[in-house]
Amino acid sequence: MTKAITKEALTGLVAELTAAGVRVIAPAKAADGGTDYRAIFTLADAILGGEMPRRSLRAVFQPPTEAVFGWERKGTGIELTPAAAASQPQVVLGARPCDAAGVNVLDKVMGWDYKDDMWFARREATTIISLACAEMAPTCFCDKIGLSADATVGADVLLRPAGEGYTAEALTAKGEAFVSGHARWFSDEPVTADPAPPSREAFPLDKIEEWLEGHFEDALWADLGLRCLGCGACTSICPTCHCFDIVDETDGTAAGTRRRNWDTCQTGLFTVHTSGHNPRADQASRCRQRILHKFEIYPKRFEAVLCTGCGRCVQACPAGVIVPEILDSIAQRANGGAA
Amino acid sequence: MKELQELSRSLLADGQVNVVIGWEQGPTGARPVFVTKPEDADRLIFDQRCVHNLAAYLSPRRPNVGKLGKAAIVAKPCDAKAVAGLIRESQIKREDVVVIGVRCGGVLADPASKEALSAETVSERCPGCESREPTLADHVLGDMPPPPPGERRRDARIDELEAMPPAERWAFWQAEFERCVRCNACRQVCPLCTCDRCVTEKTQPLWIESSAHSRGVFAWQLTRAQHHAGRCADCGECDRVCPVDIPLGLLNREVARIVERRFGFEMTDDPAAAEPIGAFRMEDEQEFIR
Repeated sequence: MTKAITKEALTGLVAELTAAGVRVIAPAKAADGGTDYRAIFTLADAILGGEMPRRSLRAVFQPPTEAVFGWERKGTGIELTPAAAASQPQVVLGARPCDAAGVNVLDKVMGWDYKDDMWFARREATTIISLACAEMAPTCFCDKIGLSADATVGADVLLRPAGEGYTAEALTAKGEAFVSGHARWFSDEPVTADPAPPSREAFPLDKIEEWLEGHFEDALWADLGLRCLGCGACTSICPTCHCFDIVDETDGTAAGTRRRNWDTCQTGLFTVHTSGHNPRADQASRCRQRILHKFEIYPKRFEAVLCTGCGRCVQACPAGVIVPEILDSIAQRANGGAA
Repeated sequence: MKELQELSRSLLADGQVNVVIGWEQGPTGARPVFVTKPEDADRLIFDQRCVHNLAAYLSPRRPNVGKLGKAAIVAKPCDAKAVAGLIRESQIKREDVVVIGVRCGGVLADPASKEALSAETVSERCPGCESREPTLADHVLGDMPPPPPGERRRDARIDELEAMPPAERWAFWQAEFERCVRCNACRQVCPLCTCDRCVTEKTQPLWIESSAHSRGVFAWQLTRAQHHAGRCADCGECDRVCPVDIPLGLLNREVARIVERRFGFEMTDDPAAAEPIGAFRMEDEQEFIR
């Protein structure tokens, strides 16, 4: 089902949603002038199709820190209070296609051996309206990972720029319900979307996976381990990195909160055992872990690479570690090239 | 550039060092490189995009680099201050590193930038910097450049912050810290963050909560800034790495100014200078001890 929506109608739609108590999240200006996914109240606050939001959409579904439950000592026992379910209806407007795809990839691990209630409560309460990119930044490589500037993966509705307005394609049952539930803002008038930027040839991801399987020990890892500073900036802005740590924090002596916080595989503390032994004692093995997890371990288990080519890691790395360059070099090795 | 490549080639060929830590042209801009073979010395570059403080790679926290053997490091004047800090704090020995100093007239904010150095494109920390060449150096290369372009924007911003009523200043930092995700990248890239076990990782007792709520973030960021009092080389790497663009350089610079006012100490590339945090002087003000 493809319809059209003008900017004016989109303004009305946002006003209608917020008036009805629906939280609308969109790329918007942060206090310091940068762009982030934030709650907006009018469309004028959204930056649709501007620079890449600093943090990926993951933060909307799994915030950097969140309470799991609280506890309080009562007499000789302990009373637990589960964290309030985060299920306020919300709409993400203008999500990057790479970010929507990232959320879709993460559904697989979040619903695997254990269904992550906090993740899925937010997922179920959220409609994702993504916006096709009009251009690709020099750091973007979604096309090389098998997506594109107008990829539909993970979105409920995809908007495509069309002159002064957008085409709106409902992609899921949730998307169709959203469009028909707000039908007065959408029109059936045929509108042609602006052409999306062309896609380049994708990396041979199967071959890369195969190479990784057979090269746990390789000079490539030693090289990466030299340059990488282990800062983990890449993992904290990645739409698909999802490692977390569980901590207990006290409020006084008789009460506290158990929280779940983002963590990163790029520091030594992440894997150190209580015995003191660390199976990933140096940066080379931590860099290897990150690449293996994204392009071998995850695909093997979930049939999807743990990367959507958003390029945030390329922008964030202070030391010039560049994932598409690494994939290129692995592809060359897989093809028997010297790289 | 040729001078740098030739010197590095001969240091490697003569066996004086096993690795030269410098910059190369990467796919998106200048980036660190580790040259171990004389024939690879041509990869080395130095220009206004060489933003990174390579001293971080000399830290004992980077054993992968240490295992390569004796290192030569290419250092701008501000980077040399970090190298001196590592020597002062007994993290490395002076004789274990060859410092190839490069004369510097400021660097760009972004190592991937293709623009010329100007008041708009220069790194925040450069305008007003008076160090043109490092004194801690075994070799000094390049012509003496003019001072970096632009005004000291950051100090002007600090003046504004200092002039604010405390509640307003508090609100400013609250808004900035709201974005912090506690990734600790600021700590990881810092050449002078050399603790084996960081205070934010100590859980028994728990000194600093690791959660990204305001309590945890303030405790972390203020501790980090204070721990760098009189030690920060002002290389701006924490500022540059922050994935959510918190202006950590402002905080560091503010602390450096306080140290300068109270202890008359400015960060230097003299490895023998006494850092206020590690030295006792009778004439220090002690009005807070009663």
